[in-house]
Amino acid sequence: MAIGRPLSRVEARDKVTGAARYTADTRLPGMVYAALMSSAVSAGRVRAIDTARAEAAPGVLAVITHLNRPQWHSTPAALRYVETRFPLADEHIHHHGQYLAVVVAGTREQAAHAAGLVAVDYETRPAVPTLDAALPDAHQPVWRFEPEFPTLLALGDPEARLAAADVRLDLEYRTPYNSHAPMEPNATLAHWDGGSLTVHETSQQVHLDRPVIAGALGLPPDRVRVVSTLVGGAFGNKTAVWAHTLLAAVAARQVGRPVQLVVTRKQVFTCHGHQPPIIQRLRVGANRDGTLQAITHHTVNGTPVLFDRPEAAISPTGTVYALRSVGVRVEVAGMHMPAPATMRTPGDGPGMFAVGSALDEMAYALELDPIELRRRNHLAVHPLLGRPWSGKQLLECYDVGAERFGWERRAPRPRMMRDGADWVGFGMSSAQRLEHHAAARAAVEIRDDGSAEVRTAAPEIGTGNLTTLTQIAADGTGIAPSQVDIRSGDTTLPESAPTSGSRTTGSTGTAVHLAALRARQAAARLAVADPRSPLHGLPAERVGAARGRLYDVDVPRRGETYRDLLRRNGRRSIVEQGFHDPAGADPRFAYATFGAHFTEVRIDDTLRRVRVTRHVGVFAVGRVLNPKTARNQAQGGIIYALGGALMEDLATDPVTGRFIAPALTDYHVPVNADVGDIDVSFVEEPDYNAHPLGAKGLGEVVAVGVHASIANAVYHAIGIRVRDLPITPDKLLRP
Amino acid sequence: MDTFEYKRPGTVREALRLIATHPDAEIIAGGTDLVTLLRDRVRTPARLVDINGLPLDGLRWSRDGVRIGALCRNAVDDPRLAAAYPVLVRALRSGASPQIRNRATFGGNLLQGVRCPYFRLPEFACGRREPGTGCAAIEGDGRLLGIFGTSAACIAVHPSDCAVALLALDATVVVEGARGTRRIPVGDLHRLPGDTPHVEHALRDGELVVAVEVPASPFAARSTYVKFRERASYAFALASAAVAVHSERGVVRDARVCLGGVAPKPWRAHTAESALRGRRLDAAAIEAAAEAATAGAAPRPDNAYKVELVRGVVRRALTELLVK
Repeated sequence: MAIGRPLSRVEARDKVTGAARYTADTRLPGMVYAALMSSAVSAGRVRAIDTARAEAAPGVLAVITHLNRPQWHSTPAALRYVETRFPLADEHIHHHGQYLAVVVAGTREQAAHAAGLVAVDYETRPAVPTLDAALPDAHQPVWRFEPEFPTLLALGDPEARLAAADVRLDLEYRTPYNSHAPMEPNATLAHWDGGSLTVHETSQQVHLDRPVIAGALGLPPDRVRVVSTLVGGAFGNKTAVWAHTLLAAVAARQVGRPVQLVVTRKQVFTCHGHQPPIIQRLRVGANRDGTLQAITHHTVNGTPVLFDRPEAAISPTGTVYALRSVGVRVEVAGMHMPAPATMRTPGDGPGMFAVGSALDEMAYALELDPIELRRRNHLAVHPLLGRPWSGKQLLECYDVGAERFGWERRAPRPRMMRDGADWVGFGMSSAQRLEHHAAARAAVEIRDDGSAEVRTAAPEIGTGNLTTLTQIAADGTGIAPSQVDIRSGDTTLPESAPTSGSRTTGSTGTAVHLAALRARQAAARLAVADPRSPLHGLPAERVGAARGRLYDVDVPRRGETYRDLLRRNGRRSIVEQGFHDPAGADPRFAYATFGAHFTEVRIDDTLRRVRVTRHVGVFAVGRVLNPKTARNQAQGGIIYALGGALMEDLATDPVTGRFIAPALTDYHVPVNADVGDIDVSFVEEPDYNAHPLGAKGLGEVVAVGVHASIANAVYHAIGIRVRDLPITPDKLLRP
Repeated sequence: MDTFEYKRPGTVREALRLIATHPDAEIIAGGTDLVTLLRDRVRTPARLVDINGLPLDGLRWSRDGVRIGALCRNAVDDPRLAAAYPVLVRALRSGASPQIRNRATFGGNLLQGVRCPYFRLPEFACGRREPGTGCAAIEGDGRLLGIFGTSAACIAVHPSDCAVALLALDATVVVEGARGTRRIPVGDLHRLPGDTPHVEHALRDGELVVAVEVPASPFAARSTYVKFRERASYAFALASAAVAVHSERGVVRDARVCLGGVAPKPWRAHTAESALRGRRLDAAAIEAAAEAATAGAAPRPDNAYKVELVRGVVRRALTELLVK
C-alpha cells in the first residue's frame, strides 16, 4: 500500500535544487514584460492621465489606460468576476492601489521605469479609511451571487434564553486586515496563437479561471488554455482572476508578443486579496452546570464600497457546541478597500477566534476546566441539518491532546504559573471545518512499460497533493508510486476540484481513486478475455493488482504484469476516467473535520512578548493518506495562524485607508525563531461515509482554533484578555 | 525605479570627485536599504557611486581602540571585537538577517533611511523625503514611531542597532571630503528633524564616510545591548537599549544609556546615566535609571506603550550587566 506511507513529495528534489519551474520562471521566445501603475489615492477620479513620457521611454511598446483599452466583453456579474468592474473600467477610483495603467516594454526594468512615468492628475475625494469610520454604514449584505451562508438567523429564542441564563457574557472581538502574504507574487504569462490564448498563471483553479478570462476577452472557453504548474504559496489569494491576468492578456494581444506580468510585492499586498477587518460581538449565556443556553453572534466586516462581501465568521457559532438557542446577524460596512479574497481559513478562522475565546471566558466565569466545558456541550448531531456527524472523534482529540500536552499540570486560575522571569500559560480550543465538495474529474493511464500516469488539473500549491494523488493512483492500479507520474495544473487535463477549501483529498482524490480502479478493472477485463493470459477465464472481480502485476486473488502465483498484458495485446495503454460527484456522500450524515489545539505560551514579565513555546494539535480528518505531508501541512497551518494571532496586521493609514505595511519587512509573519515545538497527531479513523477512500480535507481545519488557543494561553499566563488581534506587546503592558 | 548613471570608482579620491561633481549623486555600498528606496522611488539619484571597490573594509586595532572601515560588513566576526565591545557585537547580531548582515556595511548602516511608512511610501506627504510637503504621519498611524526628539515636521525613528551601540561607546565617524578629513561624534551624525527634516545628517555635500573609530574606554567591556521587537528575529526594534557601565570599588563612575527605535536618531538618555553615577549598581539604581531613561518622552496615544518598553529594555540591559 502506498496510502498511509510517509512518502516524500514527488517534487521535493526539484524544489530544493532549484529545478522546479514556477509561473514567473516560464520563458517564451519574444517574450516582453508588463508593469502596472497603481493609484496614489483611495477615492476619487482620474481627471487626466498623461502617458507621453511613458510612451517615449526606452523599450516601451504599449501603454494602456481606461482611455485606450480594448472593449471588455460580457459583464463582471455574468462571469462572477472578483470585482464589479473590469480593470481600467473608467476614470473612477474606488480604492488605493487601483490599477490605472499597464505598460509593456522590452525588459521588466523598462516596464517598471515607464510605469513610474505615467502622470495622473487626481481629483481626490475623502475616503472611508477604517472599519470604525464605516460602522454607520453597517447593513445586511446584498449577495452578489447566491447566498453562501445565512446572514440572519434566530433559533430557539436566544434573547429569552440569554435573559434566563445563570451567567451572561457580552464580548467584542476584533481582527484586522490580514494578508495571505504568499512568498510567490501573482504572475501571468499570456501568449496568443492566432485566436487562441494560453495563460500561464499563478492559480489555484485553472478551470474556474478559464471562463472568466475567455468571457472578458470575448473568446469561446475552448480557445483559452490556463496553465498553473507549481504555486509558491497561495492561501486563497490565487482563487480569483485578478486584474493583472486580464491586462496581461490584452497587452499581449496588442503588442503581438507573449507578455509576462509579475506584480510587485507591494501590489500583492494591495490588489490581490486580503481578509478584511471584522468586529464580532458575542453574547453567551450558560447555566451553572455548564450547559450553554444561548449564543448570539453579530459580525460586521469591512467590504469594498461597490459591493457587499460578507465574511462567514458566524460559521462555527451554531454548529460546534450544543446550544439551546442561537442567533446570528452578519453585516458589512463599505470602505475604500481593494477587493478581499477568501483566506485560509475563511469564516472559521476569525469566527473560531471569537467563539473559542468566549468559551474560555465562560469557563473561567463558571470555574470550569475549558475542556470540561466543551465536553459538557459536545454535539453529536449537526443542529441545523438534524443529522449525526460522521467521523467526529473530537472527544478523542481532547483526550489525546491533553495527554500529549500535559494539560493536567494546568493551574486552575490565571497568573499562577511562573518560571523565572516568565509567566507561563496554557490554553486550548477546539477546531472544526465543514467538509466541502466540488465536482472533480481525473484520468489514469496504465502504460505498456508498466508505469502509470495521473492526469487532473489540480495545481500543486505547496500542500503535497501531487504526492497524495500519486499514492492514490498507485494503490488503485497496483503500481508502485515510483512508477506513477502525475500531470496537473492545466486546463487540457480533466477538471479537478479547485485546490482550495480543503477539497483536494476528498473530491479530486476520489476522482483519481475511481479512475485508477477503473483502469485496473479494464486491464483485468482485457486479461480474463485473453486466451494467452494466465488469468484467462477468471471472473474479473477475482483479479487483484500489486507491484505492477495482475494476479488471481485466490492463487496469487497466477498472474502477469501490466507490461506483458498490454504489449502482447498491442495496446500502448489503458486510460480510464474518474468522476467525483459532490452529492455522493451518504446523505444520512453531516460532514466536517475536527481537532483540538493546546498551546503553552511564555511571557517575560519585563519585556512582554508572547512566545509560543509548545503547541499540540490533534486532528480527526478521516484516513491520513500521507503522514509526512499531513504533518507538514498541519504544522504549516498552525504556524500560519500563529502569525495571525501574534503579529499579522496589514496596518492602514487612518486618513486614507492605504496599507502602510505592504512589504514582508513590515508585515510580520513568524520567523523560525518564533516557532516553538509543534506536536501534530491524528485520531485516525477512515470516514467511508464521506468518501470511498475514507479521507477528508486537512489544510484548513489545522489553522482553525489556533488564535483562540493562543489568546486563551495568554490570559492564563498573565490575566490579560486580548480580544483584538494580533496580540502585540503594546496590549500586554504591565498595569 | 528610475534610470541613473552608475560609477564604480577604485580610489577614495575618485569617489570623492564623482560625488562632488554631481549634485544628485548617491553612494551605494551594501545596498540593503538603498535598493529598496530606489525601487520605491523614495530616492531618485541621477548618479549612483558604488564604493564597494574601495579599500575601506577591515578592522585596525591600536592602543586607542579600533578603527572599523566603512565597508566592513555587519556580519563582522572578530573575537577581539566581541571581547572589547560586547554591546557592539550584540547590536550587530540583533539586526536584520544573516544574509543582510553579510551584505550591509558600517557606513551604510549608520546612514540608512528612517523607518517610517510615510517616508517609505511616496504616496504620502513626507517633508523628510520632499522638503516642505508636511508629514502624513502626524495624523497617521504612529504606533512604531518616535517618542523622543520628534517635531511637528517629523516623528520617524532611526532603525540602526549598530549606531545605538556606537553612541554608547563614544565612537566617532571619520569622513573625507575635498577639504580633507573630519571626525564627527556618532551622537552628532544624525540631525533631529526640527523644522528641516530633510537635513538628515551632518555630512557636507561631497563627503564620504570612510571609517568609524571606537575608542578604548573603561566601560566598553562591561556593556550590552537589549533589543525588543514584535517577533523573535528579523524585525526593527520597538525599543532597544545599549548600556555600558564603569564601576570602581562597586560604585558607578561612568555609564552610558542609549536608546534605539524611539527617536529620529540614536538617543542618549543622559538623565539615566546621571541616575547611575556615584551609586552602587543594584536593583534600586537600575529601577531609578529605567525611570530616568523616559525623561523627556513625548509619546502620542498610539505609541505611549513605548515609554514602558524603554523602562523594560533599560532595566533588562542593566540587569544583564549586574549578573556579569
